[in-house]
Amino acid sequence: MVFYILRRLLFLPLALFGVSLLVFTMIGFLSPYQRLATFINNPERLKGENVDKLISQYGLDDPIFIQYLRWLKNVFRGNLGWSYVGKGPVFEVILERFPYTLELTIFSVIPIIFLGISLGVISALHHNRVVDHALRIFAVVGWSFPDFVFGLMVLMVFYSALGWFPPGNLSIWAETVVKSPVFRHITGMLTFDALLNGRLDIFWDALRHLLGPIFTLTYVELAFILRITRSSMLEVLQRDYVRTARAKGLSEKVVINKHARRNALIPVATVSGQTVVGLLAGTVIVETIFNRTGLGSFMALAAQQLDYASIMGGTLFFGLILILGNLCVDVSYAFIDPRVRLE
Amino acid sequence: MKRFSLCLVVVFLFFTIGGVAFAEIKNPDTYIYLSISEPDTLDPHFAYDTASGEIINFVYENLIAYKGESVSEFVPRLALEVPSAENGLVKDDGKTYVFPIRKGVKFHNGNDLTPEDVEYSFERGILFDPSAGPMWMLIEALFNYGTLEDFVADKLGVSWQDMFNEDGSLKNEEYAQKLVDFYNQYIDPAIEVEGDNVVFRLVRPFAPFLSILAQNANWSAVLDKETSISMGLWDGKAENWWKYHNLKKEESPLYQQAIGTGPFKFVEWDRAQQKVTLVRNEEYWGEKPKLAKVIIWGIDEWSTRRAMLETGDADQIYTPTQYYDQVKELPGVKVEKGSRITVTTMHFNWTVSKDSKYLGSGQLDGEGIPPDFFSDVHVRKAFCYAFDYDTFIQEVLKGFGHRVPSVVPRGLLGYNENLPMYPFDLEKAKEEFQQAWGGQVWEKGFKLTLLYNTGNEARQTACEMLKENIESLNPKFKIEVQGVQWPTYLDAYKQGQLPAFVIGWLADYPDPHNFIFTYYHSGGVYGGSQGQAFIDFAKANLNKLIEDAIAETNPAERAKKYEEIQKIAYENALGIPFYQPEEIFSMRTWVKGWYLNPMRPGEVNYDTIWKEE
Repeated sequence: MVFYILRRLLFLPLALFGVSLLVFTMIGFLSPYQRLATFINNPERLKGENVDKLISQYGLDDPIFIQYLRWLKNVFRGNLGWSYVGKGPVFEVILERFPYTLELTIFSVIPIIFLGISLGVISALHHNRVVDHALRIFAVVGWSFPDFVFGLMVLMVFYSALGWFPPGNLSIWAETVVKSPVFRHITGMLTFDALLNGRLDIFWDALRHLLGPIFTLTYVELAFILRITRSSMLEVLQRDYVRTARAKGLSEKVVINKHARRNALIPVATVSGQTVVGLLAGTVIVETIFNRTGLGSFMALAAQQLDYASIMGGTLFFGLILILGNLCVDVSYAFIDPRVRLE
Repeated sequence: MKRFSLCLVVVFLFFTIGGVAFAEIKNPDTYIYLSISEPDTLDPHFAYDTASGEIINFVYENLIAYKGESVSEFVPRLALEVPSAENGLVKDDGKTYVFPIRKGVKFHNGNDLTPEDVEYSFERGILFDPSAGPMWMLIEALFNYGTLEDFVADKLGVSWQDMFNEDGSLKNEEYAQKLVDFYNQYIDPAIEVEGDNVVFRLVRPFAPFLSILAQNANWSAVLDKETSISMGLWDGKAENWWKYHNLKKEESPLYQQAIGTGPFKFVEWDRAQQKVTLVRNEEYWGEKPKLAKVIIWGIDEWSTRRAMLETGDADQIYTPTQYYDQVKELPGVKVEKGSRITVTTMHFNWTVSKDSKYLGSGQLDGEGIPPDFFSDVHVRKAFCYAFDYDTFIQEVLKGFGHRVPSVVPRGLLGYNENLPMYPFDLEKAKEEFQQAWGGQVWEKGFKLTLLYNTGNEARQTACEMLKENIESLNPKFKIEVQGVQWPTYLDAYKQGQLPAFVIGWLADYPDPHNFIFTYYHSGGVYGGSQGQAFIDFAKANLNKLIEDAIAETNPAERAKKYEEIQKIAYENALGIPFYQPEEIFSMRTWVKGWYLNPMRPGEVNYDTIWKEE
């Protein structure tokens, strides 16, 4: 299996190279004027000679392969360029923002997967009865709800009306503490750092700011897992070995938990992996509504403004996450399903 | 598993308890303003947007400032007196300005303000002159050139590109001496320290000079020379000054640092959160602000901003007028109204680039327009008659705006509401179309595309109203309205492909020259974008009048000249002046002492405002 992982990892730089070339070429189809939008966001600044000066200053009119080589050369020197959207070196900006995305992912993935699986199992066990129908409607509504609508509802109810889940990362008082020199930044994730610093009040505050996004994401993403679990469970429950287990006189609890559910979880693992990777790539809408400073809102802005250094840096980063994420999912099969051998 | 999920739900609910009570003033000595953008850069000589200007304005200070809400009266700031002909500090028929510099003022790092700091600041800005930055204003006022590079090229007889290699080194060492001489001969004498005074020498009188210097104009902010040099800004020497010219935004050492003399100190710019923090300058020489802390926070999503105002977590939020209904009755919130000096207009391209996608067939055959379609005055007049100004202002802007006769907004010299304006009159529009292009337009019809930059609903609606009205005149008239993203719009605009464009201009300084030149002079930012035929027209009919008007020192005479220019604009239908917008400002009722100076970047007077129920 180690050999398998190593082989997969060897492909990583190749894949990233391919992706970067593809994206860069696509950017290359845009005219220098379009790409100038990164540098000038206001028509008042479009004095004739300024525009051409800026284009040559940033080399936007060079042939695309020269621009690509220039970018590649800098990447090998560890310089991903300057992000005009993030107002800093691309690498720094990504590192600064990723912990926020990771934190939200960690906290949302737990309810999404556990609630999704358990509700899915419950649904399957009550096949075509009231509980099943109710859960299915619940899931379909969540799945078809656009996240911006649900996010706004959460914001209106739980913040405007009740004052529970404020947007942003922290309250003003907590931010003052976090930015003071006594507060040590270890993971970059506010909740974990607060615990490591022994500041329960700040942990509480950071978590309170996370709850709105978690709640929104859980409801919107949960349905997917729920439905896969349900159908997979239904299928497994028809299998001969489940009937055999029952015929052996095993208790229903053992049949469900040990024989049926474990086998039903194989497709769920794939889907969960995708969900995690998707969440890690940032959730634009939720981050925007709740004013979280993660990667999603950053990449959306970068794409809108054609900030190519940010786009390229983000692409590499997401490519990396996607490849590693899929690798983890593949490896996890070996543990869940003994029939799978990775070679 | 069932039990586990139950636990989760309980934990979930448990965490949510800890709700916030309502009503009392939150953060009593901190002001939280939610905007939609974050600063572009904190370098006063690079910044050319209101979000940057807002920060710079309270950290740095200028020589003079506007008095309260006025944009024509000044009070001294870092200068001891406002120069005028009466007090003898404006001399040589308006070509020399003398500023006695205040003593006992300290920068935030403890250094004393000296006249040398003032001289250094202006010279550094002019030599730096970043592309698409604001320094052209001072370069125009002092030297009558558009950019430093033009100035150098004209005096040395060699263009900047011919003097320098790609990496910024000189192609030929003999240019070095010429550039040093250039500095010594032109830049250095223009701004000089004489005793406790700083003297500016202009090549010709320039009426709005003081307003280019006044507080709110970040390009005229005063830096600390010693600190600046130690940070790596221009070293103050004639040798090698060109190495500090036109750096990239992020290469300027002042990009995210700010040390001025102002009422607030800059603490931090949190780039991830788009949040800038300022604290009161306890050693401020003037009246100290009542607020201890200011947080200016960019939050793009309107609902989020609104919710934070509603709960009192924010004191004031940026509110586009279309959301007026959502804030006007919010408990604990008040809405103020005010106008800035700005206009929104539509202009025509008299010579559209031939490869434009927006011309249809490119001929007057009913399926397109020829590139010079708008060079016929009848076409332009017909468009002017076909816009329903009042309905637009009432229905679309919800009354937050008013008509203007030309591109000169209300509140400026030369604005005269009695100047002629085109009424909304479809009969007249029809008559004009019947005369256009010798009757061919009416007979054959036309088809063209109007582009707008997505996200601006008012402009989109304006284009669509124009389309409806014009198409109703003749079934052969076809107008397509298309929304595009800013990069696409920018591309089409710069390549001269747009047959007509809706555009706005916010005053850099409160003077009609800033508008008249911009729109009607062949060298203006928008004047130069209206096609070669317009440029020829402007050169023949407008340029000289505009240049005369700016050199005129008598305000009454100037006003007359501007009225004359506006009449030419009316007679030739040089664009459709849609409206001057009004703005709304929503804040908590506990905000006290708020006022709007139309030239202030940002919405808040942090230095004099306070919170009190």
